[in-house]
Amino acid sequence: MKLSITDILFFLVPTIFFTIILYVMVGWTFYISFSDWQGTAPNYNFVGLKWYQLMFKLDRFWVDIRNNIIWLLVGVGPTAIVAIFLAYILELKSTQRFETYIRNLILYPAAMSFLVTGTIWSWMYQPDKGVINTILKWANLGFLTSNFVTDPATANYWLTLIFFWQYLGFSVIILQSSLRTTYLKEMVEAAAVDGASRMRILFNIVIPNIRGGILILISLLLISALKVFDIVYIVTFGGPGYSTDVLALFMFIATFQQHLVAVGAGLGVIIFIMALIIVIPYTIYAFRRWFG
Amino acid sequence: MKMTLLDTLFILSLVILTIGYILPIYVMFVTSLKTPLEITQRTYLIPGEPLQFQNYIRAFELIFPSLINSSIITISVTAISTFIGGLNGYFLSRYKSRLTKVLFIFMVIGLFIPYQVILIPLVQIMAATKLALTYLGLILSYIILNVPLASTLMGTFFFSLPRELEESAEIDGASRIGIFFKIISPIAAPAYASTSIIIFTQVWNEFLLALTLSTPYTTPITVKLAEIKGSYVALYNLQMAAALLSTMVPLLLFLFLGKYFVRGILAGALKG
Amino acid sequence: MSEEKKKISPSLIISVIIIIVLLAALVYYATLPPKVEVVPTVVVTTVYTTAPRTEERKLEIFHWWTAGGEREAADAMFRALKSKYPDIILVENPVAGGGGVSHRVVLQARLSAGLPPDTWQTLGGAELKAYVDGGFLEPIDDLWEELKYADAIPKPLADMVTVGGHRYTVPLNIHIQNILYYNKKLFDELGLKPPTTIDELLAVAEAIKKAKPNMWPLALGTKEKWEAAFVLDSFILETGGPEYYVKLFKGLVDVKTDPTFRKALERLSELVPYVYPYHAGLTWDESCGLVVSGDAAMVLMGTWAIGYFQSRGWTPGKEFGALTFPQKPERILLGHTDSYGLAKGAPHPNTCKDWLRVVASADLQVPTDVTQGGMFARLDIDPMKFPDPIRQELQTYLRNNPGKLILDQHGSIAPYSFTQAYWDAIAAFFAEPKVDGTISTVASLFETYNVKAEAAWYHWGSV
Repeated sequence: MKLSITDILFFLVPTIFFTIILYVMVGWTFYISFSDWQGTAPNYNFVGLKWYQLMFKLDRFWVDIRNNIIWLLVGVGPTAIVAIFLAYILELKSTQRFETYIRNLILYPAAMSFLVTGTIWSWMYQPDKGVINTILKWANLGFLTSNFVTDPATANYWLTLIFFWQYLGFSVIILQSSLRTTYLKEMVEAAAVDGASRMRILFNIVIPNIRGGILILISLLLISALKVFDIVYIVTFGGPGYSTDVLALFMFIATFQQHLVAVGAGLGVIIFIMALIIVIPYTIYAFRRWFG
Repeated sequence: MKMTLLDTLFILSLVILTIGYILPIYVMFVTSLKTPLEITQRTYLIPGEPLQFQNYIRAFELIFPSLINSSIITISVTAISTFIGGLNGYFLSRYKSRLTKVLFIFMVIGLFIPYQVILIPLVQIMAATKLALTYLGLILSYIILNVPLASTLMGTFFFSLPRELEESAEIDGASRIGIFFKIISPIAAPAYASTSIIIFTQVWNEFLLALTLSTPYTTPITVKLAEIKGSYVALYNLQMAAALLSTMVPLLLFLFLGKYFVRGILAGALKG
Repeated sequence: MSEEKKKISPSLIISVIIIIVLLAALVYYATLPPKVEVVPTVVVTTVYTTAPRTEERKLEIFHWWTAGGEREAADAMFRALKSKYPDIILVENPVAGGGGVSHRVVLQARLSAGLPPDTWQTLGGAELKAYVDGGFLEPIDDLWEELKYADAIPKPLADMVTVGGHRYTVPLNIHIQNILYYNKKLFDELGLKPPTTIDELLAVAEAIKKAKPNMWPLALGTKEKWEAAFVLDSFILETGGPEYYVKLFKGLVDVKTDPTFRKALERLSELVPYVYPYHAGLTWDESCGLVVSGDAAMVLMGTWAIGYFQSRGWTPGKEFGALTFPQKPERILLGHTDSYGLAKGAPHPNTCKDWLRVVASADLQVPTDVTQGGMFARLDIDPMKFPDPIRQELQTYLRNNPGKLILDQHGSIAPYSFTQAYWDAIAAFFAEPKVDGTISTVASLFETYNVKAEAAWYHWGSV
């Protein structure tokens, strides 16, 4: 159909407007990272890699990178896998009565302020009187108690459990929509008629056919893990010491507590670049799908 | 009926999920009915005595204005972003030209930009345009951050929508805009609903931007919750009560629109 | 796919209940009697005491006293303002977060965008210097002259808010950092005397450990990191003395080779076994809570903990006692102040100056400080105005020894870029007491953040 100017204006201009602003700001942050802005007043003198050099010398920076990678691997993987199983199970006829209950159950963390859920989780994790250890001791499972987030060796992993808890509902929702297509239903029914077990159906038919949904899910989870801030801010604030520090938290501290705004911007740039690398597979895939 | 591995897995997950998700709520609820002294004892699972129901009244008094603020802000952002996302997604799905391809790439990358990256420049822009301390400033900021997400979500829906309906309307001579409003939008209602829920939750719970750009007159609920706890007195009981009260709004939204997820986001487009 | 059921679904019921509750609350809220507001009605009059007619009598103020007792203190401040200048319209922006963590975020954003409030709460010290260097504060030497404030307060306090010879803010209180709170009933029961030196502290800790094996002698909560530095500060004060303390944080000590710093750390590592081990997950208020709940016996915290203990129903002198620690070789008070200044480019500068005049007055300081837990900035206020013996004694001591006050961790002698990272290192020390590792980390921090140059502005005694 013919493309009229009115069409373009109406449909695209709002988006183009907002997108330009968005990228101008990203570019601005890039520039700040090369400037000499430390302290409270803006300072746009160009100093090149000065603050990056400082940043790379800090042990804390490398601990952050390590931690963010842990988050990417340990946070995202289990969440996606459990979400796939759960979404599939919820599609089966035998579990229909539970579907709304489970879906709303795992979705409510999205409705709650992290300030509060984070506080609750710190209480859950307190080694001496926290909720989890208290229950374990009461059930005579005292040997399973742990120091959770007060032990530098295990702290990061327990934090990723909170990530799992927060994002499971969201993940299941995303998968559910890709599962509920007539096309897939027909294939599943055909396979069931042929006598295939439900597990085999899951692996051989369902999963290959929701590749797109899984890819979106994993990309979104990876990015959420990369920019994680709230959980770490409330539950450990980077502690013990800075063993659970992540890039986004360091960015916050550098910018607002240490007044090293250029360093903060530099960290933002690092986060952005890492996000870019992660996002490339999805971008290529989606591009091909949309534009053939 | 024979119990298969899948059945056992299901029962197990049901139990674990119930415990894992109900336990925090229980602790919140129990804490909200205690006095500060009782909370200090750290008996998180045991209710206080007597139950301090007046905490809820006090909490409600404190957060009511913020609930209104957050609702105004979040609903505006959701409605506008979703609408713009719909426009954009529809257009991108129907026209394959160089312009749309470029826009698409920027859109997808924009999807993944963390808000921290643009915080400082955003505040500077808001200040320069004198929007910094108004509802509008906060609303526009959130829209900027959420338009890519809305576009992608709506776009994938439109992509899978068959074109027969539009084609017959085109032959009749209807304009693209007309088609969009009269024919496409009613069909896309479920997609709008599910996109709305996702954007709503992103905005409602956002803290840093809300903290930076809000004023005493426009305090959103996330900032207010921090305020309730206090800097030195740590009033967790009031904070918990306030948090539970404030979840009523998003929860209401979930319950009403939840069923639209079923037919929503990425239907059909992702079969392979 | 969920079937459409004929009977009413649970979701519908829950939604209806929620809507009914919200409506009921709406009705209740709408029918509440109007609150007595802090904001007075505008008195439309042309009689202004000090401001010219062209400036609106409005004051935009940022602070972090948002809830409970601290909120009452803020209200007390504004009542004092209102009684002196009833025509001022107050616009306050309370941002919660002890020490102003979140407050700094908002302030940084607003200041760098050129939208300052008239005045904001600031702790003096390096934080203040950051604002001065950024050009965000007006010097108020003339106001200090007018109020003769330099004579009314301890000299070190005045020095905390003086940069480059100019005064920038008006302090309204003093918060002392190095106070050792202890469970008085426990001490009486065990016949213990509150410790005044490190050796006495270790002895008391040992005695408590023997008598009450389930109780931790010292509570600690390092979530915000600075709590750990507090404890080390006290140890440094005793091992090195006050002048050494100031030299250290001015970057004038070579930490790598210095024996005193090493000794302080080594003595600290003797304390670690007696310290609550799960401190990484506790905030400072939760660590004070350990003392209230009987899980711990003592805690080293600032005067603001008094307000916390009182909110839990503990009375100073009855359930808990307190003393500054250490008391040898000298009894030194480490402190910072809550103060207000005048923003450069403030929308209402003359109104702000009226506010500052009230801040400097006893009319504001007495009710505010008594409620909030700090000490009076003014030396001419009777210490007996405090209801508790702890602060009465502290204020009297300060009155008689005004020179014994040194800037603490929160106000910070060293620049905040250093201080933040320093706190992390010391918090990590409590988790793993590695003396050598910590020394080299701290030494490199002094280098990296250029402390020597950045802290040169601060002076105490002869340093």
